[in-house]
Amino acid sequence: MAQSGKGKLNYRCPSCFLRDLDIDMFFDKDKGEYYCIRCQFTGTEDKVLEMNEMVRTRYKAMMQRFEKFDFD
Amino acid sequence: MQNDFVVNIIHRPEMVPEYAEKVTGQGKKEDIGRKSLLTESLDIFKFQQETAHKNGLKTTIQMTYASLFNEEAISIAKHDHDTYGDEIALSLLGLPCEEFRKKYNTKDFCIWMFSMEDKIRIVDDVFGKFYDTFGFYPESTGSYYMDADLTNYIKSKYPSVKCAVATCWEEGPKAYHTCNNSWYTLFDGGPWNPWIPSKQNTHAPAANEEEDSGIVAIPHLSRDLIACYDGNGSNFGTHPQNVLRGMIYDTKTWEYPYLYNIIDQYRALAKYNDGYSYNMMFVGPGWLNKMGRWEAPYELLKKSYEDGMAYYGKLKEEGKLKDLTMAEFADYYRAKKPYKEPECALWRDILYGSDKQVFWYADPYMRACINMDQGGALVDLRPYVAKLDWKVGIGTPHVQDASYPFLIQEKYRAGYFTHYAGEGTVRSAKISHGGEEVDLCLCRTKAHFSETPDAKILTLDPVDIEFYDLTVKLQTVITFEKGASAIKFERKILSMSDPSAEVIINEYMVGCYGTTEYPEDMTGITLSVEGGKTPDSLKYEYKCRELSSEGGSKAVASIPAIDTRVSIETKDEAKVYIREGYAFSPMYTIGISKNISEGEVITTWLNLEKEN
Repeated sequence: MAQSGKGKLNYRCPSCFLRDLDIDMFFDKDKGEYYCIRCQFTGTEDKVLEMNEMVRTRYKAMMQRFEKFDFD
Repeated sequence: MQNDFVVNIIHRPEMVPEYAEKVTGQGKKEDIGRKSLLTESLDIFKFQQETAHKNGLKTTIQMTYASLFNEEAISIAKHDHDTYGDEIALSLLGLPCEEFRKKYNTKDFCIWMFSMEDKIRIVDDVFGKFYDTFGFYPESTGSYYMDADLTNYIKSKYPSVKCAVATCWEEGPKAYHTCNNSWYTLFDGGPWNPWIPSKQNTHAPAANEEEDSGIVAIPHLSRDLIACYDGNGSNFGTHPQNVLRGMIYDTKTWEYPYLYNIIDQYRALAKYNDGYSYNMMFVGPGWLNKMGRWEAPYELLKKSYEDGMAYYGKLKEEGKLKDLTMAEFADYYRAKKPYKEPECALWRDILYGSDKQVFWYADPYMRACINMDQGGALVDLRPYVAKLDWKVGIGTPHVQDASYPFLIQEKYRAGYFTHYAGEGTVRSAKISHGGEEVDLCLCRTKAHFSETPDAKILTLDPVDIEFYDLTVKLQTVITFEKGASAIKFERKILSMSDPSAEVIINEYMVGCYGTTEYPEDMTGITLSVEGGKTPDSLKYEYKCRELSSEGGSKAVASIPAIDTRVSIETKDEAKVYIREGYAFSPMYTIGISKNISEGEVITTWLNLEKEN
């Protein structure tokens, strides 16, 4: 089995991201999957992208444009 | 009143950008002299400069040591200075290059972490090289952190320096953790907006000319004052690629309103600061890597930078923004802000949809955060009054840890909620009646700002406290008197369902001290109750003891490890008390309790003093 490398983009582990950890993942070309060297996450690119969308659910106001910043 | 929104845009030609070598060089042996790396770095610098100028914005070019060996970088700086009025300044970031490595025989690159001897060598080398290149000494400099000894040396040797990037707001253990415990920028506890650092400690603003370090400090980036305190600082600030790092954008449309919301909320802070507000954007070239950065392809990185600049450009065009160089800003700031004028920020959540609101306050005596989501509890407190001599770098007790210590830090030391036993750090009040007790930390509210010439005032919306047989309507007013080194808390019982009832108010502070999440040794702390029938004191020994004095005036904790004395004081007739903690709860409590009925007010002060 050959060594792993980075994928075409530098995906972070979405599971670690949810606990405020930025961990670059590596790509196992034999299995066709990204994996995290810190936790147990593994996934294809599609799975990573899907989980990245899940990450964003905590930003409920992410797409809202605010015009008022006080409660007066 | 005419509002000023002042913006500093800073670029640095970093020949070996942070991240770039790790990212583009993956799978290759380290080579910081790679031609492709140098070419790409310069391309990024050119792109950043062009983008600012295209939008009619002036920049400060912070030359790095490495760039002073590069003719093209020098020539761009000279050209843009002549053509656009950009300031040519000198950064102490970007030291890594072949020349530096050979000369200093180290891979260290953070100026504040070197020994004092090396700081002086490097500063003289870098400033000398700058002078040889441009024929003058810079007026601005900076790094991610500038310790006081470093700043004092620079100011004494190179008096032309009047402005410096001197800290990244709340970049401490949280950033360290986010980077898998490999990013050693441990400097929590500073101001979020520009200030005049004292000679004794960079984080602590100068109270007078004698303490004045001679520079105006600006923070690295303008950061979200809620998101950044809670999470990774590097996701939430006026750094478009940081916003991408936080994944705060729509992946289909590549839109990121959050970036503009941060900028606009900073603009709104003019209301609390005599018509002045500030922003800083300082994107290192590593963030515009052609290979992309994490999930973001280069096109998105580029677009976000262009959009950020375009927004500033639009505000300028509308007459709503002043773009100043760092040196120009230093002059502006000194004319605008007297030493004791505080910096204030009533800040709301603009990301998580919570309506949470906090108030940040900084002056030469303290930095404080009031959390309206916890009934106006004080959830972060840094005793700047101590002006701690906290040496940083190799050969000092703090090689990496440059944070200003806290007495209260709700994230690192629990705050209101703890597991199983013990208490967390917070300054709040408990209301008791008929065997029931309610902490104001559980009364969510909102604050309204007002001011007098001598004070900044927060008036909180009244809250209802419901006991089994009594409902109490209570209002909190928190006053920061300029130069007082104290916070005044007033609690007024507006009404009670039984007007003849009495409740007990317990005004308390649970404190500790430290810079990280982990406990410090509490022995050495003295706790005292002053005045009244039974004044007394004890040395902290983790024995869970209590002292109280009826009719007393003050409960005090003296913390020699950080030269600080903190007290709660009242002029009312009350009981003052202290509580020692224990090993599982390494805290101290100081407090005042008093019976109170409808229409009455209890007033207490939280005082901070330098010990000795």
